[in-house]
Amino acid sequence: MEIIETLINGLSVGSTYAMIALGYTMVYGIAKMLNFAHGDIIMVGGYMIYLTMVATGNALLGLLAAIVFCVVLGISIEKIAYRPLRGASPLAVLITAIGVSYLLQSVAQMIFGTAPKMVNIANLGNLQMGSLKVPYYTVVTLGCSFVLMVGLTVFVKYTKTGRAMIAVSEDRGAAQLMGIHVNRIIMITFAIGSALAAFAGFFMLMKSPSLSNTLGAMPGIKAFTAAVIGGIGSIPGAMTGGLLIGVVEAISFKIPIIAPYTDAIEFLILIIILLVRPSGILGKVRREKV
Amino acid sequence: MKILRISAIVLAIVLCLSMFAGCGTKADYTSENKEYIIGFSGPLTGPAAVYGTAVKNAAQMAVDEINAAGGLNGINFKLVATDDTHDPTKVSTNYSSMLEAGMQVSLGTVTTAPGLEFTNLSVEDNVFFLTPSASGDDIPKYENGFQMCFADGNQGAVAADYVNENFAGQTIGIFYKSDDAYSKGIFEQFKENLDSSIKTVETVFTDTNDKDFTTQISTLKDCKFIFMPIYYTPASVFMTQAKDQIAADAIYYGCDGFDGIDSAEGFDISTIPQEVTMLSHFNSKSDDDKTVKFVSKYTEKFGTDTLNQFGASAYDCIYAIVDAMKAAIDAGKKIPVTISASDLCDILKDQFTDGFTFDGVTGEGIKWQDNGYVDKGAVKYVIKEANK
Amino acid sequence: MKQISKIKWHHYINYIVIAILTVVFAFMSFGGMLDSSTLYMLEKMAIAVMLAVSLSVVVGFLGELSLGHAGFMCVGAYLGGKISCLLEPFFDNGMVTLLISIIIGGIAAAACGIIIGLPALRLKGDYLAIVTLAFGEIVRSLFMNSSSESFGGSLGLNTPRYDKNSLFIIALLLVLVCLAVLQNIIRSKHGRAITSIRDNEIASRATGINVTKYKLAVFSISAFFAGIAGVLYSFSNYTVQSTKFSYNYSIEILVMVVLGGMGSINGSIIAATLITYLDITLQTKLTGNLAVLQDLLYSLILIVLVIYNNAPALKGFREKYNLKNTLNGIFKRRNDPARHTDDEAKWDRVPTKIKVDEVLSVEIKTTQSTVDPDRKEKE
Repeated sequence: MEIIETLINGLSVGSTYAMIALGYTMVYGIAKMLNFAHGDIIMVGGYMIYLTMVATGNALLGLLAAIVFCVVLGISIEKIAYRPLRGASPLAVLITAIGVSYLLQSVAQMIFGTAPKMVNIANLGNLQMGSLKVPYYTVVTLGCSFVLMVGLTVFVKYTKTGRAMIAVSEDRGAAQLMGIHVNRIIMITFAIGSALAAFAGFFMLMKSPSLSNTLGAMPGIKAFTAAVIGGIGSIPGAMTGGLLIGVVEAISFKIPIIAPYTDAIEFLILIIILLVRPSGILGKVRREKV
Repeated sequence: MKILRISAIVLAIVLCLSMFAGCGTKADYTSENKEYIIGFSGPLTGPAAVYGTAVKNAAQMAVDEINAAGGLNGINFKLVATDDTHDPTKVSTNYSSMLEAGMQVSLGTVTTAPGLEFTNLSVEDNVFFLTPSASGDDIPKYENGFQMCFADGNQGAVAADYVNENFAGQTIGIFYKSDDAYSKGIFEQFKENLDSSIKTVETVFTDTNDKDFTTQISTLKDCKFIFMPIYYTPASVFMTQAKDQIAADAIYYGCDGFDGIDSAEGFDISTIPQEVTMLSHFNSKSDDDKTVKFVSKYTEKFGTDTLNQFGASAYDCIYAIVDAMKAAIDAGKKIPVTISASDLCDILKDQFTDGFTFDGVTGEGIKWQDNGYVDKGAVKYVIKEANK
Repeated sequence: MKQISKIKWHHYINYIVIAILTVVFAFMSFGGMLDSSTLYMLEKMAIAVMLAVSLSVVVGFLGELSLGHAGFMCVGAYLGGKISCLLEPFFDNGMVTLLISIIIGGIAAAACGIIIGLPALRLKGDYLAIVTLAFGEIVRSLFMNSSSESFGGSLGLNTPRYDKNSLFIIALLLVLVCLAVLQNIIRSKHGRAITSIRDNEIASRATGINVTKYKLAVFSISAFFAGIAGVLYSFSNYTVQSTKFSYNYSIEILVMVVLGGMGSINGSIIAATLITYLDITLQTKLTGNLAVLQDLLYSLILIVLVIYNNAPALKGFREKYNLKNTLNGIFKRRNDPARHTDDEAKWDRVPTKIKVDEVLSVEIKTTQSTVDPDRKEKE
């Protein structure tokens, strides 16, 4: 009984990570850069939801506003901060991404202060299954991330844009020669990634109402861990990795002695996976080219 | 080219030196004081800003009142507030800047973690401090430090006594923050004083995991009494998330960190079905004369947003220090306006450990033990009753 | 006289400046002319400079991003602090205690540097950055949850404070030692090997450079000095609390390195001094929500600087209006052997660095991508 409960909690925590990891894996898989600011786009989405809810009281409207705003933000970040660096060393891109992350955090702090805001989206109640009590948000988040995963897979595999994305991720130069507009494809990738971030923000706030300027920072890093564990670039991998991290976290919090070390355990798993199988569980093994 | 290079070096050195120019030291910073200077370091910004702001507001209010009433024998007081954002590494700078601004007596820090650094810094220069709210057991470990709030150990022990009396033989839940000095300090003392007949279910969260409490709630869901020695922000998140998961007749029992939960922005405590109770030395709804006066004055000036025991405690601290100085003067000691921090410290130390009693907003007949801990009554204050 | 004029002054300018400042401040301190806040600031500056310079070797010269520098510092601060607590009853809070703590703290951090260097052999770029970040957080978490008898747990470790009138002198002297070690490595053939790994790892491996050895060496040396900075930190504060060493602090050090110009030690020194000075002075000046202005400014500077220095499109512009060219007159970076050789054979114009981006613009492709992935292991 207790085990099932812990597993369900793990899936609940993990589904949020999975959703963030989907965004990471899309951007990393195609643009080949670690978008450190992904977690902070979630935070910006959260504030959009907050503002819309203060104005209209409608959470779904808030989600819509957040998606629109995050997409615009994601595209502008890509255009202003990352595009000029295309072709520069990965180190430079990574440092810029860190800069963008801090920029978003400090702008949010400037506008909204550091005191957390409470955003009460909706109280969905519990799903009673025998003696098991499962909060509905767990079901909803899990379902939505699954739908998004399937949708993304279909999109990438069967649409023209999606196939172009695969081409860009395989070989940017060759894709360009084949007439694919690389910049536009990367822009679309960022748009999708940012929309996913807005979704993640919505579900995070649904679970827990506290919103501050560091909302996305730590979950972002953990979700990246999840994406790496699942195999970066792989959409089902991100989902698997996210759920796995969630379950690990839930189990670890359940055992009092190791509970304070939860973060350390998750990071340790990351290091081990990277050392033993850098391509992750479902990822493809890539060769390094000269 | 060579001349350019050499001149550049010279310029660089001159620039570096000039950065420090003007900080020529005076052995005695207080020799030019025109008023008594009281300093403190607290989180005026950042996640704990509500506590620092309350202390600053209330202390300023007390200082203004005292000055309006003619000060101490005609000499006014001045409050110097510095911001540490609840970050211990900022205390050192704050402390020296206050000392160099002529600080003679201090309220220490508002929160515990920076307070641990402050304690050691202040003993070096022998600066007296009476902290309104840094409740760590080690804060008053040297002779120059005193507390207006209960020490963590005492809070834990008092809470454990209450549980021993009312929940013997039952299982209770404990929810604390494993990487916070305040939370862990209370938890350890609580655990130590708890009767062996009481079983506990413990669960923790950390600084990086303070948004989603799914696992923690599921661990605690069968408990009828949950002890939560944490600050109110994560507590309010926990309560919102746990609304329908934890039995509606359960009791959340917190310590002074809970204070302010009923006025937290965006959090409507009336939507929480469970009972919310805290152990406190200040009850804003009390009909005690002093309290009513303080609450009405404070809300008139600053609104209810930051009305909490931190402010009340700081208000008392200022009055306690001034009263002690007055008592010392009455006893024939001399306290000139330019008195050095160290001399004033010796005078106040004697006063506080020598049977000085104080009546304030946070209690009547407040006394201090030789080890700096406060001696006063605690109230169990029900913030919100359970929905029947 | 001829001998003196032969010395390359620009190689030693940073030693000279720091040494002069040390002597001046030492005299001022003994003359009682310095405030305790100034003394504290000097200690902080020395610590920041040491951190920035040691990180600069990893980021600027080896070309790997380390986000765990605060973790190394954490190891040094806790272990050094603990050692000094244990030694205090025997040797008092004096030079002996300080030196032993510094050596042990530094060596412990260097050992961690080797541990973190091991993944660096397999990973690079983003993955390595995340691994170093993870390492820093793990270390912090271990110290945070230690028992109160060992490392103080969440309350932090109480450490003895070294006499503040002389700690900054020791700190500045250690900065000089750190500079001497790191600059001599960088200006030697080893330094050239390290920069060649940065520019093209596979090519340098092909020329016979032992990449494994160099990567481990750079990580451990850099960690060693970060550890020493940590020990100094524990001596300059009464408590060591693990909250200080979060990855935010690592990024703060990274900002110093990037601001100073990657691959420039003098730049790191200047940036570290400047940022520490601003941090401390603004802390008491900027209050309320204005305090965040500082972070905002740093992140903007970071973005703008990195784009300006790296964007391929801005290359022409960079070469035309180059701040470095103007500064070269002062610091003569052109002759820094880390970038170009300066030996007697007048090789000034022959760069050891292969301009990779130019070569790669031809896009030489091998047929390797079709090779079966397991072959590398067999090789």
